[in-house]
Amino acid sequence: MRDVSTAERAVPARGAGGARQTGRNQPKTRRVRKKFRVFSARGGMDLPFLFLILVLLVIGLIMMFSASYAYAYYHYNDSYYFIKKQGVFAAVGVTLMIAISYFDYHHLHKFAIPILLFSYMLLVLVRLMPSKTGVHRWISLGPLGQFQPSEIAKFAIVLVFAHLISLNFSRMGTFRYGVLPYILILGVTALLLIWEPHVSATVIIVLLGCIMLFIGGVKLRWFAAAFGLIGAGILYLVRFTKEFSYANTRIIGWLDPFTTASKELFQKTWQTRNSLYAIGSGGLLGLGLGQSRQKYLWLPEPQNDFIFAIVCEELGFIGALIIIILFAMLIWRGISLSLRAKDKFGMLLGIGLVVQVGLQVVLNLAVATNTIPNTGISLPFFSYGGTSLIILLAEMGVVLSISRTSSIEKT
Amino acid sequence: MAKGTTIRLWRRTVLTLLLLVIGGFGTIIFSLVRLQLIDGPSLQMRAVDQYLKDTPLTAKRGTIYDCNMKPLAESATVWDVILAPAYMDSKKQDIIASGLSKILGMKKEDILKRCKNKKSYYEILKKKVESDTRSQILKFKNDNKLTNEIRLVEDYKRYYRYGAFASTVLGFTGTDNQGLAGVEAEYDNELTGTDGRLVEAKNAVGTDMPFQYEQEVQAKDGNSLVLTIDEVVQHYLEKNLEEGLADNNVQNRCCAIVMNVKTGAILGMAVKGDFDPNNPFVIADKTKAAEIEKITDSAAKTEAKKNAQLEQWRNKCVSDTYYPGSVFKMITASAALEENLVSESTPFNCPGYLTFNGRKVHDWKRGGFGHLTFAQGVCKSSNVVFMQVGQKLGTNLFSKYFSAFGFAGKTGIDLPGESRSIFCSESSMTALDLAEVSIGQTNKITPIQMITACCAVANGGYLVQPHVVSKILDSDGNIVKTISTEPKRQVVSAETSRRMCKILQEDATTGTAKSGYIAGYRVAGKTGTSQKTELKGKSEHISSYCGFAPADDPQVAMLVFYDEPHGPNGYYGSQVAGPTFLKTMTEVLPYLGVEPKYTDEELQKLDGVSPEVVGKTVAEAKNAITKEGLTAVVYGSGPKVISQVPGPGKNIPKEGTVVLFTDSKSSAKTVSVPKLKGLTLAQANRTAAAAGLNISIAGAALTSSNAVSTTQDIAEGTKVAPGTVVTVTFSESNQVA
Repeated sequence: MRDVSTAERAVPARGAGGARQTGRNQPKTRRVRKKFRVFSARGGMDLPFLFLILVLLVIGLIMMFSASYAYAYYHYNDSYYFIKKQGVFAAVGVTLMIAISYFDYHHLHKFAIPILLFSYMLLVLVRLMPSKTGVHRWISLGPLGQFQPSEIAKFAIVLVFAHLISLNFSRMGTFRYGVLPYILILGVTALLLIWEPHVSATVIIVLLGCIMLFIGGVKLRWFAAAFGLIGAGILYLVRFTKEFSYANTRIIGWLDPFTTASKELFQKTWQTRNSLYAIGSGGLLGLGLGQSRQKYLWLPEPQNDFIFAIVCEELGFIGALIIIILFAMLIWRGISLSLRAKDKFGMLLGIGLVVQVGLQVVLNLAVATNTIPNTGISLPFFSYGGTSLIILLAEMGVVLSISRTSSIEKT
Repeated sequence: MAKGTTIRLWRRTVLTLLLLVIGGFGTIIFSLVRLQLIDGPSLQMRAVDQYLKDTPLTAKRGTIYDCNMKPLAESATVWDVILAPAYMDSKKQDIIASGLSKILGMKKEDILKRCKNKKSYYEILKKKVESDTRSQILKFKNDNKLTNEIRLVEDYKRYYRYGAFASTVLGFTGTDNQGLAGVEAEYDNELTGTDGRLVEAKNAVGTDMPFQYEQEVQAKDGNSLVLTIDEVVQHYLEKNLEEGLADNNVQNRCCAIVMNVKTGAILGMAVKGDFDPNNPFVIADKTKAAEIEKITDSAAKTEAKKNAQLEQWRNKCVSDTYYPGSVFKMITASAALEENLVSESTPFNCPGYLTFNGRKVHDWKRGGFGHLTFAQGVCKSSNVVFMQVGQKLGTNLFSKYFSAFGFAGKTGIDLPGESRSIFCSESSMTALDLAEVSIGQTNKITPIQMITACCAVANGGYLVQPHVVSKILDSDGNIVKTISTEPKRQVVSAETSRRMCKILQEDATTGTAKSGYIAGYRVAGKTGTSQKTELKGKSEHISSYCGFAPADDPQVAMLVFYDEPHGPNGYYGSQVAGPTFLKTMTEVLPYLGVEPKYTDEELQKLDGVSPEVVGKTVAEAKNAITKEGLTAVVYGSGPKVISQVPGPGKNIPKEGTVVLFTDSKSSAKTVSVPKLKGLTLAQANRTAAAAGLNISIAGAALTSSNAVSTTQDIAEGTKVAPGTVVTVTFSESNQVA
């Protein structure tokens, strides 16, 4: 309980929304605020968390190299094509992460709203970009590759929610301060994402927003109402609109990925089917690192969303289990250190970022194992993608920055 | 309150964490356990299935040899042209389509259509192209820098080197090298062998995986068959049968079997109106093919073609049933002799007909033969005598011997499509039936049953197993199996057999079967002429001859039968089928090494040998020739003989003429062969002498004074050297039944 009171004392002093300070701790907060500098290395960062990030990143890079080996060879005539790029991105990302960990996360209060608006701008911009297979999800950065604005949007939502909830923490039970602003923000973001369309990002962002509101203390009846409404909406879309009819074939393919009912279905389930072949081929101990057969063009783009299938094939059940445990430990540690952060903003921001990673991991693995229908979600630290890796590591930098204020045992 | 809300934050965070870690990861781990540990092996199998490209390696089909190891059917390597459209872009598609259309003679559009099937790695474009086409394709590939797009996969093609030869025995194979008829079908499992396979790991675009995985299961080539068929015997048989088919204007094909009487080995089996096994689907009968071509309705045309194919594939020797007619009398006679109901000298009376249940059954000679012995009854082929013999036997004994001689069941010959006989059972047999079955009517049997029973009559009473395969060899030539030649049972005693041989030899010497007589070879035989009573309102006949030689130690039996002869020789077995038997056996018996034994009477009429006089002076030569009892005729004015016809050592008839040429101008002289058919022996001799030719006589002329010549081996009008020997076959004009 001592930790709780520490956290309570750490309610931020500055805020855009004119938050009231808890009077009892006012002098102490002021003193803290005075010490604020842009880079402040007051406490040490959480070494176990850093260690877990680096371990996962190294394993992720090795596996990405192995998974992309054949694909790179056949498509770019260079087996090192992806790993060379990803290696550079990882180096940049780690540097950035360490740098950000020295950065006082409280400054982010100021950036919350601008970042949200910036992400909205990008979401509108991306809609104007030329479509790729019927969707507008990527903005090209020339030689740097391309990136998904939805990555920024995720961070923006976590940041804005952490910002607003921490400011209005005591009023979260009310509709006006606890529900309305968030519904508006989430609604706009979701609409922009659906416009791309980008269902998986929408799902993640809505889930993330809901979890933050839940943790933030919104009354449960609002959730009941919201889920009822969303459920009804999905039902309506699936039942009565043509645009979502593709979802139906997706469900059929999900229920039976080995279907040969039609050529079209067989093609649609190709990726899932080959993912299951890869996972199944791994067995208990796997075929050995680099020994995947499914990566030889059977599993399309094995370095992206379905990389976990290749991990399972090469490292087996044991290897996959170790990686899942590493992810679980990362989430556990991330949340634990966030809960022990000095203030509500740090707590909420850290939890939000870690939960975001957790959600992506769970959904990605669920897709690879065909536990849920196929949708494009990448696996943090593993999937190929420069900007997303850099953004991820930057986010982890924020969590590390929070960890510096955390009262958790850091070794 | 603040404290409360913070506790709530903690509680809800921990709840979220637990949900995420335990609920989320728990579900994933559960899925992984299911996928990797439970379904793993089956998923892995399906995965492996998808990378392993399995190419069949065709086993070579075994060879079919005749009894002297001459190959009759062989498989040779050919190539299947396989396209892999997955590797082709539209430019390559066009190059390939136009290039291959020229080489393979196919339509460009058709090939292009196959090339468009982008998903495929295995489009069979053309099967079984031969090596020159293959080299053209290889050159085309090389010229256009093509690799995987076109592949040539080894296959085998069946070659029957003698064409339409023994085709009903050999049968033929289909496009997948499967046997469809004859021994090809009967021994398909032996001949086929086991296909091997080449398994290679491939990536999703069909090229090799970077790691090597290749496993080859070698094909096991098929076993070879050694037939009992002798290519030489078969050749004689087919040649003579073909002639008989043409001479007698046969409507419903004909067939013949030559069989070893002691082992049941089929030495020759031919059906005319057969096919070329190299092109079994082509209608071999030109007239029939032309008729079918004329049909305009396509459905009717297909139907007609199908029927014609089925007909030409049908092995008449084993698949057709017929009334054996008088040939069957040898069975009735054997049964009666064995049961001691008659002897050679048992007297019979033949009034020309017998009455059963108020119905008269006539003999073939309306007036009857009057009084005659049993042996004479056989030689005259008297129906009345045999109806009486049948009565003596009764239904019980007749049926017993009918079954014992193998007529009640299939012979079990190793050829497909053997028919069952259709016969009167003992219980349903009336007196009229008994009379008719005794003379070979009413019961329908197969030719193979008839000759097998005939062998039993000849060989001391043993019913042998007719068969066409003697040995099965593996691909290295080791014997895998030898077919047993053990007889099935003894039907009649050796004594009965010996007596029957004597009676039948008499028949073939002086009786109705004498058209099969061959001097020195002691032929025994029986003719048969049966009416196809099942054809209502039409008078069609089956003419057959069944005999064996030599009668004192039977070696070879032969059955020949013509179905619906409409030729100038009529329809009696002696005139239609007899000559074929005669010609074939005349060639086959010396070939098989059967020693001739001449009677004095035969020796008198036997041909002599032309002495060697070339190089001698004309006077010396004349002297030498006269000493042999021959006449010399000299052409030219030279002092010495430079050539002679017939040549030295060649056969020449007794009292024949040797023509001597003394200069090169004279040796170029030729004469035209006159018509020697339809003449008596004396007329034929005169005509030949007038033309300056020798004639060698064959057939009934040696034993009968009223025989008429039916064939000549050199056609009328042919230019030949004077003195050339023309063989003329005689048969008795009023021979019957």
